[in-house]
This record gives sequence, C-alpha cells and structure tokens, in this order.
Amino acid sequence: MIKTDICLEEMTQREIIQYLDETVKPDKGVIPAYIMGDPVIYDLEHKKVFLKTWLFLGHESEIPNNGDFITRDLAGHSVIISRGDDGVIRGFYNMCTHRGMKLCRADKGNKGRFTCPYHGFTFKNNGELIGVPMQKDIYGGNLDYKSMGLHQVTIDMYKGLIFGTWNDNPEPLSEFLGDFKWYIDLAVGRTHMEVVGPPQRFVIHSQWKIGADNFVSDSYHTMVTHGSIAKLGMVPNAAYSKKGYQVSAKNGHGCNIGMPNPVFAFPEELIPEYKENLSDKQFEVLSNLKNLIGTIFPNLSFLVSHTEVKGEAISNTTIRLWRPIAVNKMEVITWFLVEKNAPEDWKRRSREAFILTFSPSGIFEQDDTEVFTDITDAASGPIPLSKNFKYNYTMGRHRVPVKDFAGPGTVYNDKFSEANSRNFYRYWLDLMKA
Amino acid sequence: MNIEKVLAKYTFEQWLYDEAKLLDEIEFDEWFNLMHPDLRYEMPVRVNKEGMERPDYSEDMFAFQDDINTLKIRVDRLKTEFAWAEMPPSRTRRFVSNVRIVELEEAERAVVDSYLLIYRSRSTDIHHDLISGERRDEFKFFNGEWKLSKRFFLVDQTTLNTRNLAIFV
Repeated sequence: MIKTDICLEEMTQREIIQYLDETVKPDKGVIPAYIMGDPVIYDLEHKKVFLKTWLFLGHESEIPNNGDFITRDLAGHSVIISRGDDGVIRGFYNMCTHRGMKLCRADKGNKGRFTCPYHGFTFKNNGELIGVPMQKDIYGGNLDYKSMGLHQVTIDMYKGLIFGTWNDNPEPLSEFLGDFKWYIDLAVGRTHMEVVGPPQRFVIHSQWKIGADNFVSDSYHTMVTHGSIAKLGMVPNAAYSKKGYQVSAKNGHGCNIGMPNPVFAFPEELIPEYKENLSDKQFEVLSNLKNLIGTIFPNLSFLVSHTEVKGEAISNTTIRLWRPIAVNKMEVITWFLVEKNAPEDWKRRSREAFILTFSPSGIFEQDDTEVFTDITDAASGPIPLSKNFKYNYTMGRHRVPVKDFAGPGTVYNDKFSEANSRNFYRYWLDLMKA
Repeated sequence: MNIEKVLAKYTFEQWLYDEAKLLDEIEFDEWFNLMHPDLRYEMPVRVNKEGMERPDYSEDMFAFQDDINTLKIRVDRLKTEFAWAEMPPSRTRRFVSNVRIVELEEAERAVVDSYLLIYRSRSTDIHHDLISGERRDEFKFFNGEWKLSKRFFLVDQTTLNTRNLAIFV
C-alpha cells in the first residue's frame, strides 16, 4: 500500500529508487505525475541520466571551417566545441585551467586561440596552453604548460550530429544509437544536410520530459492541439496524423513515421543523392514519407514535417533540444536543417515553412508549449505525489508489432499509440535505478 | 525641427499607439488592415558575438519572417476554435516609445524607428513575460493612408523568455 504522507526529500537515494520502482510501471502504462514535478526526482535524474548518457551539442555544419567554434551546454556545464587548425573537432570544458574564469562567452565564432579575460592565459584551439603573460619572471620558467591544457570533454558524432558525455566509460555512441540510426538517417543523414543560421532559443515553464515524450510517441494530440492547422487546410484532415507506423528502438529511442504520401516531400533533383546515402529500403520509406517525428533519448527530438504553405507543399527538417534548466523550466533550442544542394528557392521555402510552423512563433509549436506548461503546473507541488496521481499511458497495448516493415526496431502499424512512451520511461527507469 | 517634421512625428506616434491598442485589445482583423500588400514582417534571431562584432543578429534565421499571405494565415488561425496558445488570450500591454522619423517623403513613404516593450500575462500564472526590442518600420502611403510595408523587430534577448510568439511584435 502506498503511503499518503510520502515525502521524497526525507528519503535516502536507495529509498527514492525503490519508490520509483514501485510506482513507475511503464509496461502497464502507469506513469505517476510526480516524476514531472518533484525536485528530488529532477536532481536524481541529473545525476543518473544527464551525467551518464550522450547528450546533443550541435551539428558539424555549424563549425565548417578550421578555427570555428560554438559554445554549448552539456548537462548544465558550458563547453566549447572547436574545430582545430588540424580540422579535428574537440570538446573542452569552458574554464581557464589557471583560476577558473569562463574562457569564451560568445555563442560562436572563429579563432585559433582563446585568451582568458582574467590573466591572459592563452590556449590553442586544440586545448594546449601556449601563452602565459610574463611567465619567465613570475613563475621562474617553472610553470608546467603540459599539465594545464583545457579539460577535454568526450564527444562523438553521427551523421553530423555532435554528442558529448560526462561519462568516463560510456557505451560507444554508435551502439547507444543502435538500430535507431536507420531512422536518424532519414531525418538528418539522407544526404548532405546543413544547419541554417543560429538555433532559435526560448524558455518555457515546462518539465523537459514532456517535450521528449511528446515527440517520441504522441501523434494523437495533433488532432486536437493542432486542430487549427487542419482548419486552415495546411494538412489534409484532423486524423491525418494517425496513418503510418510507430517504431520503438533500444535505449528509449523512438519515432513515428507518417506515410504514405502521394507526393515526394523533398527536392526531386536530389533523388540520386538520397539513393547514394540511403539503402534501397530507406529510400523507399523516404519516398512515401509524410512526416517523421522522434526522440533520441533523453532530450533530442527531430522532425520532418510536410505542410502546404501558400498552395504549395513543402517539407522542413528540424532538430530540437529540450534542455532542462529546473524541474519546471526548460530551454527549447531548435535548429533548422536543409539539404545543402537543394535549389535556393526550395531552401527559402523550406525555411519559411519552418518559421511559420515550428519556430517559437510557429503555429504548430505555440499550441504545444501551452499544453506543456499546464501539465507541468498540475504536476508540481506535494499533492500529485501524496495522492499518487497517475497518467494513463496504455494506448496501443493491445497491438502486436508488424513483421513486414522495411526498417528495424519494434514496429507498430498506426501512429496512435503510447508504446514509444512506455519504451522511453522503461529506459529512463533503468537508468534511474542503475 | 520644422513643423512638417513635428507633424510627421505626431502622425506616426499616433499610428503606432493605435496599432498597439488594436493588438492589446485583440482586434486582429483591424490590425491586419494596417498592413500594406508588400509587407515584410521580420524578427531575426539575436546572437552573442565576440566583442563588438556587428551585426549581432542573424541574417539567415528569424523568429518571424512573414509576407502578407503568411501573416494572414496567422491571423486566421487565431480565429479558429483550436488556437490554444492564445485561448484565452494573454493580457498584453505594448509600450511604444523613442519614436524617431528616419526618412520621410510626404504622402509617399517613411521610415520610423521606435522602442517596444511588451508586458504579457497569461491565465493565473504570476510570472509575466517581458519582450523588449527596437522596431524599424517602413510605411507606404496607400489609398490615402499610411500602411506598414516593412517591420524589422530586433529583440533584446538571445534566448526568448516567453513560452511562444503567439502574439505579434
């Protein structure tokens, strides 16, 4: 029997984990509301999930030239991602190794060396300490430059996506993504893709998991939350988002594939490129793709959306990070990607469609943020925990996976299912218990 | 300053105040009627650059980048029964100040700069959002009235501290 006077703050870590194990039941479709609103869970999650797993940092095309750098957040810590003069991409903790000043304060730029604003220690963009003002005089020439290089951050890449981790012994990125790479390819690896401009950033009073969860499995909400879009004729009808497949992959990853599509959603000039970069089966799915929505665990989502803007159908591709700031607050960071070799007019229209639909002013995006903030509000405070309020995630439990789909993973016919959320929280719980 | 300039400043101040009132009172159709068919409505993404490097906004990416047709889609959407982001609507208050006439060709075209501060309050939420920035507006004289033909809104945050831009700037 669950106690009604339960208080996570008074529990040991072992007791909290046990309580999670007793109350979070992904296989049964039972997800308690407190995991969205309790600060103790948020803190534990930071330790067990965000300090352990791979997290998205940026896209290779944001730093195309030697000397280019970006500064990004890795689980609450600022890191510099720099392409050295040797062309190698490296990650560094954004802190001078002398007295701890933040070395770089710009979002991005190009430089061969970083000079600390505090005492002028200078580091090459491969991390080596190369200059200390007056060092011969004040250190007697004894300063050990070799031991004072910038702290390296573990990074790895897949199809241009740069990930980092604080885990000293992580599962290799390629294995962490596993079979799900088949679908990531469709989103960001179908040909040479590049990020246009800086990412868009905005802060909302929402728990981060709600965004990740929405993209991993929730096509159902589009009927109502995004009902206005069908009313405007930008998508076929309110139930359009039901058709297709939902795919659960290992490690909590998952996506939803909207298909079929009577028209090819991408620039036809690039068909030879797509065929070169994708397998035959992947290309077949791409040819029929209406939309693709998914989450790479824990907090990177991707989206290929095909809508009608000003009488013409056009697709746009985005990736977004649900970056936790507090238990009830996250920064949403959205990158727009486009085929590098697409015709200029297609690129322009795709960007226009993105800004209209999924930017901070996007007419899809804005209704989601309203829902996210209000779910967070209702999950906050002591009552959801003490009264054991639960969400129902049982949709699609009766469904049997299909065997004849072209791609890997556990594939369900029909996108209206919560199978992927159950899969997401199952892995989340595994990490919390580890 | 000659009398023409004083009058022009008064004219455009009143125009901007009237516009603010229409938006704050959710009179979107009447607001939309203030737009010129050639409208370009843009809000670039602001960025943190190294030192004094300028411009400190993106020329490739925008939070708004509308023409008259996409702006019409936004206005029409807000009138459907599913526009949850603004249902019920935010309480907004637009403070327009520092109005400066940059260019003026009488009864032809004008370029006007102004500062904008939007206070936004939603539902029972005690948090409020502030959106601050500078507008550079271009007007064309059309059928006897000044219509907005271009708006460039330079926001003062690189990370927007508001849940969405379901409101106009």
